[in-house]
Amino acid sequence: MNVFQHRPTLRWTVPLVVAAVLGAGGSAVGVIAATARDGLPHRSAPQLLVDVQKARLDGLSGTIVENADLGLPSLPGIASGGGGSGSGSSDMTSLVSGSHTMRLWYAGPNRMRVSLLGTLGESDLVRNGKDLWIWSSAKKSAVHRTVPTTGADRPDSLAAMSPMTPQRAADAALAALTPTTKVSVDGTAVVAGRSAYELLLRPRDSRSLVESVRIAVDAKTHVPTRVQVFADNASKPAIEVGFTSFDPSQPAASVFAFRVPPHTKVTQAGRPEIPGSPKVGAEQHQAHPRTGRRPGGEPRIVGKGWTSVVVAQVPPGATAGAGSLIRMLAVLPKVSGAWGSGVLLRSALFSAVLTHDGRVAVGAVRPGELYRALGRR
Amino acid sequence: MSAADALAVRRPRMVSSRFLRSELRLIFRRRRNLAGLLVLAGVPVLISVSVKLSGGSGGGPDFFSSITDNGLFVALASLTLELGLFLPLAVAVISGDSVAGEANIGTLRYLLTVPVQRSRMLAVKYAAIVIFSLVATFTVTGTGLVMGLALFGGGPMTLLSGTQTSFADGLLRVVAASIYLGLCIASLGAVGLFVSTLTEQPVAAMIAVVIFSTASFILDTIPQVAWLHPFLITHNWFTFGDLFRDPVAWHGVVHGTYVAAAYALVFWLAGWARLMAKDITS
Repeated sequence: MNVFQHRPTLRWTVPLVVAAVLGAGGSAVGVIAATARDGLPHRSAPQLLVDVQKARLDGLSGTIVENADLGLPSLPGIASGGGGSGSGSSDMTSLVSGSHTMRLWYAGPNRMRVSLLGTLGESDLVRNGKDLWIWSSAKKSAVHRTVPTTGADRPDSLAAMSPMTPQRAADAALAALTPTTKVSVDGTAVVAGRSAYELLLRPRDSRSLVESVRIAVDAKTHVPTRVQVFADNASKPAIEVGFTSFDPSQPAASVFAFRVPPHTKVTQAGRPEIPGSPKVGAEQHQAHPRTGRRPGGEPRIVGKGWTSVVVAQVPPGATAGAGSLIRMLAVLPKVSGAWGSGVLLRSALFSAVLTHDGRVAVGAVRPGELYRALGRR
Repeated sequence: MSAADALAVRRPRMVSSRFLRSELRLIFRRRRNLAGLLVLAGVPVLISVSVKLSGGSGGGPDFFSSITDNGLFVALASLTLELGLFLPLAVAVISGDSVAGEANIGTLRYLLTVPVQRSRMLAVKYAAIVIFSLVATFTVTGTGLVMGLALFGGGPMTLLSGTQTSFADGLLRVVAASIYLGLCIASLGAVGLFVSTLTEQPVAAMIAVVIFSTASFILDTIPQVAWLHPFLITHNWFTFGDLFRDPVAWHGVVHGTYVAAAYALVFWLAGWARLMAKDITS
């Protein structure tokens, strides 16, 4: 107290120091965890890929945070979340922008649950044996599907999961591994407090908007725990999907039990659909060249690898009646050239052109490449 | 202080609730504060009656569609609505008034001649603010529960995850959410207590606190300052909804409690640093 009586202004250092200490309190945990990551044995890229292929889990419960910063123009009708960015919305379609938190429980291919957490709402996808439930707390509705169970209760790879889990995203990216990509192991990382190797994929073609894809592979379980997609000349990832908590143990069976609560609209869906059919993002769409499709109305691939462009014919009348789509297209910039004219949608990771004669071209490239692809009839 | 202590005939006990009791009497006997609590209690009444009269035809903000299923949701819907303005406003009035109000009507110097240490006075004043914050929150919850259970009944509660839980468990979760929110707005009260030591105009302090909480809400919706969001006082207030998931998602609530405690400590210390150096003239 004596010091404070002589120098009264010194008292102000007390709240300032406490604020600094408490503010750094959260990140101090990260520093301690980061020191633990040294000492992982060296692993080459092929070894790591094999590890990932072999990864099998008996069970898993964790939290996944997804961040999308695609630099999309704000479009009416898309991502109608609370703050306009889609953040905190429990609507499944809001995933294209903002930050989202999911909780995941997994106990073999026939029992899993994904919860998309909204601020005061939740959407759940629960698979328990042959029952698949989709619950929405905001709409108070449940959709029920009967799906075929896959084999015995053999623990499978995590591949059969919701579209945006790290495993699913990594599988899709790994499928695109062709001579077009430089693959290397680039150091280690700490994901969800666990040590992980980082696999670095770099497109060889510099015309691609994708600068690199980083996949963190858990050192113990060899499960991909984080996927980051970097756009050209960007220091922050355009898409990041990663675990913030990761517990590789069998979750309680009660987690997968879904009983329809009273006062709920229940819809029985007809066609069975396996959750998580591969549809990850535009940049992976074009990385799967769909061969054997007849030309004409079907999509055609121009170019190959990371810079391939999908050119497709929009069925006539597809936009009729879709008022929100018309409004959406009206705000996009108009472009024209030797290939024709249309509207352009640009984002950090992909570009798309919809021409006035009903063609659409999409690719992880700059608009110039799209015009070239459209010009090649 | 030591001279004053030596002169005192009977040395006061180390822990005495007398000062706190007199603080609480000041707060809860003021007619404007009772009117404020009445306004807080009015919202659940308004919600439950209007939903009952409309026949509960769905829609509305969060938790509204569930009100007709279970009366517990009246309390939750009221808390959600009042968290944006009414609850912060209530704690702003009390905390902004706590020191500046006494300075304004000239009772602060008499309070300090009692004799009471300035730091102890600040601690007691903050304890009274925390108690008021909990009382304010439970006024909303309590009225909501009484109105909800009377008009819509109780029974098992459907959680956000679609699972059902017993009425007792649901009630426990509502009480836990109320305590959490009470502590959250009590941390705003620490900001108010600090601002209250800066000025002799209680109205200025109240307005500053409302501006502070509203600015925090606004910043929380701006994605360009996402790095700032975890540090904002209001960022975790609405995570009380995580208590109604199955299983409970504790992370947000734990983080929110940490942030609330950090704000309370830092701003109480700032208030202490200010008050110790202040010339009390009124």
